[in-house]
Amino acid sequence: MIYLQILVNGLVLGGLYACIAVGFSLVWGVLNVINILHGTFVVLGSYIAYFAYVRLGIHPYFSIALAGAVLFAVGYAIQAGLINRVIGAPVLTTLVLTFGLDLILNNATLVAFSADYRTVQLAHPLGSKVVGGIVLPLDRVVAMLLALALTGLLYLVLVRSRIGRAIVAVRMDAEAAALMGVNVKRVYAITFGLGALMAGAAGSLLSLIFPISPLASTEYLSLAFVVCVLGGLGSILGAMVGGLALGIIQSFGALLIGPQHGLTVSFGLLILLLIFRPTGLMGKRGYE
Amino acid sequence: MIRTLPVLVVIALIAALPVFGDNYLLRLGTMFAMYAVLAYSWNVIGGFAGYPSFATAAFFGLGAYAGALMQGAGVPMPFAWASAGIVSAVFALLLGFAILHLKGHYFAIASLVIAQVLMEIATSWSSFTGGGTGLNLPVLRISIEAQARLFFWSMLALAVMAFLMNVAVARTRFGFALTCIRQNEDASAMVGINPTLYKVAAFVCSAVFVGAAGAMYASWVFYIEPGDVFRVLVSVKPIVMVMLGGAGTVLGPGIGALLFLVLEEVVWRSFLSVHAMVLGVIIVALIFFLPRGVLGLVRRRKAAKVPAFSPGRSA
Amino acid sequence: MAFTKGSSRLWGLGLGLVMAAAVSTASTAQEVIRIGAPLPLTGPLSPEGVKQQRGYNLWAKAANAKGGITAGGKTYKVEIVYVDYESNTPRAVQSAERLITSDKVNFLFSPFGSGAAKAASSVSERYRIPTIAATASSVEVYDQGYKYLFGTFTPNDTLTNPLADIVSKSGQNVKTIAIYARNDLFPRAIAKEMEKSAKARGIEVVSFDEYAIGTMDHASALTLMLQRKPDWVFGTGYINDLILMRRQMADLGVKPKVLTMIAGPAYQEFIDATGPLAQNISSAAWWHPAVAYNGTDIFGKTADYVAAFQAEYKSVPDYAEASASAAGAILQMAIAKAGTIDPEKVRDALASLDVTTFYGPVRFGPTGQIVSLEPPAFQIQDGKAKVFYPAAVKQTDLQFGIAR
Repeated sequence: MIYLQILVNGLVLGGLYACIAVGFSLVWGVLNVINILHGTFVVLGSYIAYFAYVRLGIHPYFSIALAGAVLFAVGYAIQAGLINRVIGAPVLTTLVLTFGLDLILNNATLVAFSADYRTVQLAHPLGSKVVGGIVLPLDRVVAMLLALALTGLLYLVLVRSRIGRAIVAVRMDAEAAALMGVNVKRVYAITFGLGALMAGAAGSLLSLIFPISPLASTEYLSLAFVVCVLGGLGSILGAMVGGLALGIIQSFGALLIGPQHGLTVSFGLLILLLIFRPTGLMGKRGYE
Repeated sequence: MIRTLPVLVVIALIAALPVFGDNYLLRLGTMFAMYAVLAYSWNVIGGFAGYPSFATAAFFGLGAYAGALMQGAGVPMPFAWASAGIVSAVFALLLGFAILHLKGHYFAIASLVIAQVLMEIATSWSSFTGGGTGLNLPVLRISIEAQARLFFWSMLALAVMAFLMNVAVARTRFGFALTCIRQNEDASAMVGINPTLYKVAAFVCSAVFVGAAGAMYASWVFYIEPGDVFRVLVSVKPIVMVMLGGAGTVLGPGIGALLFLVLEEVVWRSFLSVHAMVLGVIIVALIFFLPRGVLGLVRRRKAAKVPAFSPGRSA
Repeated sequence: MAFTKGSSRLWGLGLGLVMAAAVSTASTAQEVIRIGAPLPLTGPLSPEGVKQQRGYNLWAKAANAKGGITAGGKTYKVEIVYVDYESNTPRAVQSAERLITSDKVNFLFSPFGSGAAKAASSVSERYRIPTIAATASSVEVYDQGYKYLFGTFTPNDTLTNPLADIVSKSGQNVKTIAIYARNDLFPRAIAKEMEKSAKARGIEVVSFDEYAIGTMDHASALTLMLQRKPDWVFGTGYINDLILMRRQMADLGVKPKVLTMIAGPAYQEFIDATGPLAQNISSAAWWHPAVAYNGTDIFGKTADYVAAFQAEYKSVPDYAEASASAAGAILQMAIAKAGTIDPEKVRDALASLDVTTFYGPVRFGPTGQIVSLEPPAFQIQDGKAKVFYPAAVKQTDLQFGIAR
């Protein structure tokens, strides 16, 4: 029974992990940019949800839209105004650029909101439900389902919509896409915006679960790294599988080896995977 | 041709710092020397070979812990430093064979994650490393001034060694091979270069002095904790320094280390709680306005026809 | 690759800049006492750093409002020089050295926590600068044989012993305890003390688990804990860990008779962030606004200090903030007693100080750690932290059972 409970815990956690990582993965896959800003984007999403709830009484489930829209604008502006200028440059250049931008944005967040931890306390929490001896923390479960639904939605957008097809085309071959009349820089900006949107939406959902503070950004960022490499870079499906896998691995790791080694296990696994299967669990599939 | 005299003069001038500086200036001097070690070491793998390595923190932290644990077990300080360098070098050798087949982002992430793994191990293996509580090193029974001078000169000696390593790399077939690998790894095999061998050698070169510097740092601050010696910034700073000075050059890393230290110190002093933001602005400005570093600027002025280097081309 | 003239000129320029940066010390204006305070204003410890700063600032403001500190017929304005050490211990040591050698401070307040305070103490000891640690409790910080370090926190077991005493004698049949600690300096140290305190009173320690710094999920550990059915759960960590832990305990239905957490519940932020879940969480700290002392320091009565703090910051001070203010008030009394700002004489004055402050009676033991304080234990009841120990300032009795 305990294993089943741990599995459920892991799945619920993993769904959230997937949502944190998917935007990061998209940007990495399409733009070939490691976006160090991603963790701070998630934190900003959480703050938007927090203030929307405290000031306006909007439930975080619904402020996903608000946080997503704001972050999309922020992401679009950063890509169009700054990163696009050096987009063809080597890995290090864009990486150091987003690192510098993150120093600025995170420090600004710290100054604006202070490092004090805040939480969204629902007036009517859903509480927990016991189903067949398994405890289901309902708010977490709903947040996780929403997270997975959003991830699925992003997948649909990429596969079905015009802009989605353009993104996929640019990802496969930017030059060819340009020849076909795709405005590549604009696609880059939209992609980066979408990545930020997913981060904001994830942050909004996470505001129900984790204490909110600018300090949490590094944890979110390293999670995104791990999930992406686990599942496979730049693929939506990969992020989903990677997130769920990581959640389950961490839960069982903490159970079997002790909670102090939970993180070591996931990072160790990551190294092995990088060495032996750098394309991730899902390989090259699921790119579209 | 390299002019030896000005270099010797500069090194001698820096080494004479204790004559006209107080302890705090010596502390900064030691910091500069340490930064120079990190930057010169990274330059071999990141600058010459063009591999975006984030493993500096791993080598540094490993060296710091190796040195601290050895000193704790009674190994004399200089031996502990040397052994820490060897430990990091051996680690880099093994690690190099494992991850140097990765390219671009994958390599960057793998090298970044290595430091994270080591940090987690150092944090959770409390019985051996002291865990999150950290490790205290034996206190030296010599005067403060003597300590300050000792660590300054030791670190400077290490920096000079790292510098000479760069000169050696640049002048020999080794450097030529690494440059070939950076420009086109597949083609390099055709001119008779074994890329794997050279890459691993470069990776080891980028580890050995960093490990020793880590151990020296541990003795210097006599307290280390995993979150400090393995922090991502330890990997990122040398990259920024090298980019600041000029990647793949022999003088760039040294200049970059100095400029970075000055910027960091001035910003840290002038802005109480927003210094990270100001540093971020400087880094961003650097990317846009000084993409080839200070040396690139100087070269452009002189209109010299030096091929532009850009690290990480292999991405 | 050639050494060009241009580049060697740059070297020279850079070197000059370093020196300019290092040598340009602010001129020490007369009649000012400068106190250096390295604080973690950014990085993981920044919430704590900000609290310290508030405490120090309140004291400096109060002292300056009365014209400054009087010693030997002279009056000195108080100036606190802050440095952000980015929650990085070696940087704290560097900051201490910078403050002493280039900012020329007369006295020092230690960086946050036992680890950093210990590391920085060797610097102030070398330069013979009297230093007050406002947030260092570990005995190891003080037993180094140093003469210039003084601390306002009693050892960790003074927190856990009263708790274990009261719980074991409650007649509520508390037989087992599960300890769950963050693998970090203070949280681990206090958990170890709790283990000792519990064992000494015949309470069985059914589990002692540590979780890694940066853990984002406690579900597995709590699921295991649920199976062991401990009567008492003792969790340690920083405020974010404890908030998450408490929420997940509620999610999974972990309901011990007693839930003790250190060091979050003393902070109003914790109570705000956990809301109804805070009910009946017990804790202990070195100070609490409910204590009542009739101080002879600048703040006077405890209630006056609380009022002054509220007027300034619109919130009730917690132990970390009070301890920071107390460090200033204590230093001021020592300077007045010494009648000079000569570091040697002030040190001696501190060592022989025996006074009452708003913070409590102040007397330092031979190691420099305070020995006169009796840390209160308290419980959150209806959104307020209420003291149940010591008897002199008791507001309530320890309640058993927790919310949800």
